[in-house]
Amino acid sequence: MELAGYSCAVAIAKCYPVEAMTKDNHAVLVCCGPGNNGGNGLVCARHLKMFGYKPTIFYPKRPSKPLFDALYQQCEGMDIPVLSFFPSEAHLITDSYNFVVDALFGINFKGPVRPEFEPVIETLKKVESPICSIDVPSGWDIEKGDANGLQPELLISLTAPKLCAHLFKGKHHYLGGRFVPRTLEQKYELNLPPYPGTDCVVELKDTQEDGKA
Amino acid sequence: MDRINVSRLSFRRKVSHKKDKHRHELSDNSSEDIPRIKYISQTEAQNIDQELFTEYAFSVDQLMELAGYSCAVAIAKCYPIEEMTKDNHAVLVCCGPGNNGGDGLVCARHLKMFGYKPTIFYPKRPSKPLFDALYQQCEGMDMPVLSFFPSEAHLITDSYNFVVDALFGFSFKAPVRPEFEPVMETLKKIEAPICSIDVPSGWDVEKGDPNGLQPELLISLTAPKQCARLFKGKHHYLGGRFVPRTLEQKYELNLPPYPGTDCVVELKQDTQEDGTA
Repeated sequence: MELAGYSCAVAIAKCYPVEAMTKDNHAVLVCCGPGNNGGNGLVCARHLKMFGYKPTIFYPKRPSKPLFDALYQQCEGMDIPVLSFFPSEAHLITDSYNFVVDALFGINFKGPVRPEFEPVIETLKKVESPICSIDVPSGWDIEKGDANGLQPELLISLTAPKLCAHLFKGKHHYLGGRFVPRTLEQKYELNLPPYPGTDCVVELKDTQEDGKA
Repeated sequence: MDRINVSRLSFRRKVSHKKDKHRHELSDNSSEDIPRIKYISQTEAQNIDQELFTEYAFSVDQLMELAGYSCAVAIAKCYPIEEMTKDNHAVLVCCGPGNNGGDGLVCARHLKMFGYKPTIFYPKRPSKPLFDALYQQCEGMDMPVLSFFPSEAHLITDSYNFVVDALFGFSFKAPVRPEFEPVMETLKKIEAPICSIDVPSGWDVEKGDPNGLQPELLISLTAPKQCARLFKGKHHYLGGRFVPRTLEQKYELNLPPYPGTDCVVELKQDTQEDGTA
């Protein structure tokens, strides 16, 4: 989770360099869901803070597990503010945040979106700031996507891209989570591209539209 | 409602364009008052570690992962893989019985991901789940483990492009245990570069050891230790980019800014010889 969240922060910083983030002194919003994708978001937020961004967290449903308690406490220790409620209108988000990190749902998601998250997703669809989705655009069917769902501008696939990433139509697609042992990669025939040097992310090109690799 | 704790908002230092100097934002006597990076004592190192785990709720394996990763990155900057011509990028990673050894295991794993060919020497494995897991992760990456340490220095020099010294860290107190003595003595004679993690192994954490290991690269973690003032090697890097601002301020670490998203920053060698910062 630490390596995954860190690589998300690095990919985000590549696409949205901190100097170019002019709203409210590099302010960004990180929306964290109730599972591991949310945990990745918390790690990502912490590293974005180290990189000089000003993250605010939205974390409505915190799982009562030590791992997530600790991640949350680490964010508190970094003076990262936490929203008590989600802004009711999309333009409030667009005005305040340079981009939104979508760490709501990941590979374990099965539709439909729970009632408490519905308004969040609906508002995010209307936000005009770029959305950076961790691993899977939240709410998408992991394999078939969702033509009416969130349309992130950046997708950071972790470990390997999921089938739905074929339908990703945003600007930047990165792969992160550089920890796959060679034997595991071979077992699943992942055919991962080489990561440049010591980078923890690699940009993926040409994975859209007709579904061909 | 935002829960920004105003009392903990820090005075934001502006990063100057000079690469490795700190300047106060609006200081009048900026030429005299540049806060230099702090070289910490053994007690401070132990206390900072403890606070990271208690007050700041980090887990040991979390920070060990970031620390070991930054060591691998610093090593790769100084010894680029294309230049490591011995035996197809072969390197040796010597891991001690404590957390420094754990950092070494993480480092070895990332070096493997970067394309190096690490071999591990890990004579005294602590029986704790964390270290068992780290060891198993290395096995899963097909990393060979030496059963015994090569008896002669030239064997190491001939086979390995460099040696990562992850034997002892900031908790070390002399003397070196008997089982590690021969290892240290052999390492002192090898001609391949040594990259020490956090503290050159065997050095007094504050006073150093002129007769001890002389690494070519030192990667200080979190903050440099006092003995780093006596480091005479070629490259000194700082890694472990996870120190919360309030902790940094509490101990007045004056850490230099890390470039962009880098997890390491080079510390330049203007701290040697007379020990003044």
